[in-house]
Formats: sequence, structure tokens, C-alpha cells
Amino acid sequence: MFKATGGERVMEILNNILLLLISVTMLFPFLYIFSVSFSSISDVLNSDFLLWPKEWVTDAYTYILGSDQFIRSLWVTVYITVVGTFVNLVFTSTMAYSLTRNIIGQRLILFLVLFTILFSAGMIPTYMIVKETGLLNSLWALIIPVAISPFNLIIMTQFFKGIPEELTEAAIIDGANDIQIFTKVILPLSKPALAAFGLFYAVGHWNSYFSGVLYLNDPAKWPIQVILRQIVIVNEPNAALGGHAAMVEALPPPETVQMAAILLATLPILIVYPFLQKHFAKGVMLGSVKG
Amino acid sequence: MKKKHILISFLLLVLSFMLVACTDESTGEKEPEKEKETAGETEKAPDKEIDPFDHSEKYTITGMTFRFGDPPPLSSPGLDMINERFNVDYKPEIIPQGDYVEKSSAIVASGSMPDLVGFQAGDTRFYQWAEDGAFLPLDDYLSHYATLGKIPDYIYNSFKVNGKIYGIPRYSQPFPLTPIIRKDWLDKLGLEVPTNYEELEKIAIAFTKEDPDGNGKADTYGVAIGENINPNFNMGTYWDFNAWYHQNDNGDYIPGIISDGRKELVQFFANLYKEGAMTKDFAVLDWASTNNEFYSGKAGIFVGGVSGMSEEYFQGLLSINPEAELVAIPPFEAPDKSKGFTMGSGNSGMLALNAKLADDEGKIYRALELVDFGKTYFPAEEKNPQNADFDFFLGKEGTGYNMENGLPVQVPTFSSDGLSPSTYFLDNREQVPDDAKINYADSYKLPELKEMTVTLQEMFESNQMYIDPSHGVLSPTNQEKGTDLMQFLINEQSKMIAGQRPVSDWDALVKEYLAKGGEAIIKETNEGIKAKGYTERQWK
Repeated sequence: MFKATGGERVMEILNNILLLLISVTMLFPFLYIFSVSFSSISDVLNSDFLLWPKEWVTDAYTYILGSDQFIRSLWVTVYITVVGTFVNLVFTSTMAYSLTRNIIGQRLILFLVLFTILFSAGMIPTYMIVKETGLLNSLWALIIPVAISPFNLIIMTQFFKGIPEELTEAAIIDGANDIQIFTKVILPLSKPALAAFGLFYAVGHWNSYFSGVLYLNDPAKWPIQVILRQIVIVNEPNAALGGHAAMVEALPPPETVQMAAILLATLPILIVYPFLQKHFAKGVMLGSVKG
Repeated sequence: MKKKHILISFLLLVLSFMLVACTDESTGEKEPEKEKETAGETEKAPDKEIDPFDHSEKYTITGMTFRFGDPPPLSSPGLDMINERFNVDYKPEIIPQGDYVEKSSAIVASGSMPDLVGFQAGDTRFYQWAEDGAFLPLDDYLSHYATLGKIPDYIYNSFKVNGKIYGIPRYSQPFPLTPIIRKDWLDKLGLEVPTNYEELEKIAIAFTKEDPDGNGKADTYGVAIGENINPNFNMGTYWDFNAWYHQNDNGDYIPGIISDGRKELVQFFANLYKEGAMTKDFAVLDWASTNNEFYSGKAGIFVGGVSGMSEEYFQGLLSINPEAELVAIPPFEAPDKSKGFTMGSGNSGMLALNAKLADDEGKIYRALELVDFGKTYFPAEEKNPQNADFDFFLGKEGTGYNMENGLPVQVPTFSSDGLSPSTYFLDNREQVPDDAKINYADSYKLPELKEMTVTLQEMFESNQMYIDPSHGVLSPTNQEKGTDLMQFLINEQSKMIAGQRPVSDWDALVKEYLAKGGEAIIKETNEGIKAKGYTERQWK
């Protein structure tokens, strides 16, 4: 057995304390948001509590959940996240797999993919494409233009390349065609990769905000992040421009409501994390070591 | 064998690309045809006088603008009411204010500018696009309308490009936001409402050190202030950073931000900062948090206006300090003996019409009728269901609003459920005529807020207001660099206030501003001021 020396033990204790402190500072904002959302407005204004509500009030939640809009936008986001992630995984994995087969033009296609990482079109050209393809004001506008992330595609290609060639050859001998090889051999072996990329994509969809504002005209279709921004970010009167802004235009709802909204919008995706955590850590390192 | 497959698939790919290209061309061809059709229609009746209020033809009218609150849904009873009344298929796109500039730019760049386009005050795209010929000159049309026709020329002047009016102003009342103070704290400490900056400084320090709320804790201070030195606490035009009041040695007007008055004010803030008598972290505090500093009873001096105050915020203050009483601070007498605040520009944004409407006069009239209605002013005694237009505007009593104590109160979901037509008008601010007698306090329910509003209105009405000569004057350099330069000055002055840069550096800062483009801004603006015929300072 390994036996720690005195110095090492002290080091370890210090280390643990340090790490503990760091994790507490990470937790602090969450606790603050949680406490403010359950406090009364006057307690918050008075700064009359420290990290724990003085008296428990659920006004903020009844206010938010009382409007259809918040719940509706939450559903929209869930829809985009679930459908979008599925689309992402199907398209990314099929394209990545075909790029591992020896096809002519493979290098060219890979080059084109890489090209989009370095030189991506700006907001206006993308907007025009979305408009011309008739996706404007459809939830698919938040899914199709981001169906394949070139970065994830390349990593997934590397991952597929890491699967021993012999497995594929064995399947061919057994009479499997390309699609069967992909679905019955490659995909089952790639579950950790799929989980990791699924999480990457899902978080991206969950947090997508600007494309929502840009492509969707109908407030009923807005994802939660747009609504959240409406609630939390103040519409600042531009003081530098000097406008005598009317005060009421610029005032957001009380802080308790803001915090409740943040909590409700973060919680669902937060809950997903622990379940996918182990894949996530593994997935980040995918393709980093070849051999 | 394999290679053949690939060749075929490659060919297929090329083919599909060609197909896409072809369909694109064919849709491209269709459009000119459509245009020809509409052009032909107007040609049929070249000489016939068009009745501006003839509703026989149905038009599709599109529009976009910004909104501070939540935009209404795309279909709703309120929208149906508008479509029926004006015989239109009205398609307004209402975009959250924070994203408006980006989204509207994308929409316009993609070639689909709507018929009506809204802008926030100070949006220079309005002038650029007007110069580029994207908008319709409105001079010939405005006189037909009850509200649009009565807006004074001096307001329209701000929206003239090359001598033609391109914009319809979004109303803002002439009274600015001016400093207010906690009267109950003054009384407690035996102090009077200040009449100059020395007294104001003493009061702010007393609010910090002498426990004006009497709770035995040092938890109060003087002036609530946030990022960009906002509010700016000018106690008269002499100190207003935004007004063109001071003159340089050549007799040219200069912007307030580089004037002696502003220097005095920056020195005043620097003194307060040293004493802890103003918000410590002002440089990073957003507007909502700045409001919080005051309405949570921490700070005793802030700003208020005659309209647009939040009753919720005021109620919040009263729940903490039930005896809170706010009064307006009247303007101070300046070193040059002038006294009074600066009058507002009279607009808080504008609306332009797409130049493509020129083909169809009937549509121009209908679009303007829509805009005109949205801006209708209803005097207080007509804000009730007996006035049919008002009843329509708010979506009928019992549905869009209810009468409570003689005041119309909109139902909470009037906008989110689209119950009121009012929420769909791109510009739905009433255009208050210059001669209207308004009792601003009438629009509030909270007695304490009413009282404060009365003190503000009395103060404004008993003092003259300065007419800023720079309103409606365009300076190309200002359009290009003005915002950045202003931000630069504000940042440097914030440093001076926080003691990171000595106030004695003032002259160097002004020189830097002039060299970076300020010189040209002053030159161009003064040319515009002279062209307007404004020479002596005017007060009203």
C-alpha cells in the first residue's frame, strides 16, 4: 500500500480545503439566485437577508408561471432541444461515418468543412439563406442551419477512425452492407461519443437565443432564452446618446421575478448534466489520442 | 466499379445545384412582372384625384418597430379590429428593443424592407437610408391628417434630409428628468431644498454621515448615480452635458460635455465621491440597479419626471420608508445668471415610409391614416368609453380595459394576448399638442407620486426652458464619430470623478476631443444652427 508522508498529507488537506472553497464560490451565485427568488421584494430591496430567505414567499413564481408565455416558451425550447439534438446526431454521425470510408473527394469535402470553421458567413447572408429557403418564422430555422457543427463532425470522424478496421471487415464477410455496418456495428460502439456530442448540441440548443429573435417573428414561438432576456436584461436608455428616456420604459420587473425566471430556465438543463457527466468528460477527450 | 458510382453521384450533385440555380432565376423573373401589374393599375387613373380616406380598396401594410415590453402575438382580436376598421391586412413586426438594430438591419439588407420602419431616437441609420433614397418624402401628405398635420414644423425639422421630411416623430414630452430629493430626510436634518451646488454637496454629505433615516446605521448616502454618469444631475442648462449652450471664443456654440459648467459638475461629483456621498460603484451600475439604490431608501437624491414614473418602484420605497416624501429641486442660478432646464427634443424616435410606396398613392394614404390614428391625442376628459375612437384604441371596455375611478385601466394581458389595437400601432404614443393643458398627476393612482408630480410640474411651469439650437441639426462627423467620442469623454470624466485622473487635466481632455473630430462636429453643427436662423440663445 502507498503510504503518504506527513508533508503529503498536509498538502492533501490544504488541497481539499482549497478545492472546497472554490466549489463553494461556484455554488454561491446559484444559492443567491435561489434565495432571492423565494424572498419578498422588500427584503431584497433592503438587503435584509444573507443567503437564505428571511421569509419564504412564492410570489415571483406565481407571477411567472401565471403567464402562458413562460411555460409555452419553455416547451418550445424543450422541443428545439430534443428534435434539434436528434437531427444533429443523425446528420453528424452519418456524415462523419461516410468521411471515414475511402471515397473520392473525401479530402475535398473535409477541406470544405474546415473552411466553414475558418470563414463562416455573417448574420445577414445567413439570414438571407434562411429567408429564401422559407424557414423564416419556423422552429426549423433554429435546427436546420445548425444541423452539423463542423468541429463536432471532425472530432466524430476521428473517433470513427479509431474503431478497428477489422470489425468492419468482419461485418462485410458476414454480408452486411454499409448501412447495416453503420447501424449495427459502428453506432453501438460509439455510444459514449453520441452521448457527449448529444450533450454539446443539447446545451447549444437550450442556450440558443439570438437566432430565435432573428428568425422568429411570432412571440409565441420564442424559446425561453429570448423571454429570459426580456425579463432580466434591462432595456438601457442610452445615456451617452443623451435621450431623456422615460423611466418606465426602461424598468424591468423586480429582482425576485428575474431570479425566479433564471432559476426556472436553467434548472432543466442543469438536471440533465449529472446523468451525462461521465460521458461528457470522456467525450471531451475523444479523438485526442490516436492509436 | 466504385469510381463509376462516385462519378454518377458527383454528376447528380452538379445537376441538383443547377436545378437550384434555375428555380432561383425563375422566381427572380416573376417579381418584375408583379411590379408591372401594380404599376399598371395606378397608371389607369392618372388624373383622378385620390380621396385619402377612401377605404374601398384593401391594402396589405407591413411594418416593423422596436418595443420595450413584450411584443403582442401575430394574430389576435386587436389586430382583427384594425384590419376591419381600416380595410387592411396589417402585418406589424414588433421586435424587442434590445435586438432591434441588428434584426432590422438584417431584414432591410435581405431586401425586404417593410412599408413602415421605426427607429429609436438618435439612430443614424434613419438619415443614411433617407439619403440613399430608401424612404418616401412625406411633405405632400401630412396636411391631410388630424394629428400628423398639426405637429409643429420645429419638430419635423429634425427629420428633414435635403429639405424633405422623411420621418414622423414619436412623441416625448418636453420636460426632462430632473433631480428630486427626499424631503423627509431634509426635514429630519433641519435642511432646506438646495439652491446651489455647495448646498447640494453639503446635503449629500449630511445624508451620508448624519443618519437621515434615523435607524442608527450608516446605510444611507446622497446621490444615486449609475454607469455613464447617468443621471447627470444638471441643475440647469448651464451644466447640461447634452445641450449646446456655452459658446467658445469665436461665438460658436459648443456641446455641454466640454463646457465649463460640465467641468464644475465633474468637480462636484469628484468631491462627493471622495466623501462617499454618491454611489460607489457608479461606473458599472446599470439603470435598473441605479433605480434600486434610490427606491430601496439607500440614496436620497435621484431624478424624476412628470410622466412615465413607475408606481411599483415608488410603492417599494414606501413599503420600506412609509414617511418618504419626494420633491423636485428647482434649477440653480448659473454663474452667468441663467436659470432653467433644457427643453427636450420633442421626439423619442421616428417612423419612415418605404420609398417603394411611391407607386401607389392609395396605399400611402392608408398607411399614414394608420400611423395618424395611433398617435391620436385624447384629452383626459375623453379617455372613456363614450369616445368611440378611444374605446376602439384600447380594445373596447370590458375586454381591453376597464374604467376604475374614472380612469381607464388596461387589463394585464392587453398586449400579450393582443386585446387592444393600441399595442399594434408601431407608434402608439399620443402626440400631445403644444397647447394642451395636462395635469400630469392625473395619470397616477398613488397619492405620494401624485404629490411629487405636482411639485415637478409647478417647477417646470414657473421656470423658463432653454431651446437647444442643435436639435434637428445634422453633422456628418457627429453621425460617424459622435457616439464614440461621447463615450470617450464620459469614460474619461468617470475616471476624474473616481479620482483616477485629476480634474486639472480637463483642458487636455477637451483638446483631445477637439482633435479627434470634435472640431469638425462643432463647425458643422454651428453651420446648421446658423442656417436655421438661430443666433441668440432662446428660452421659452
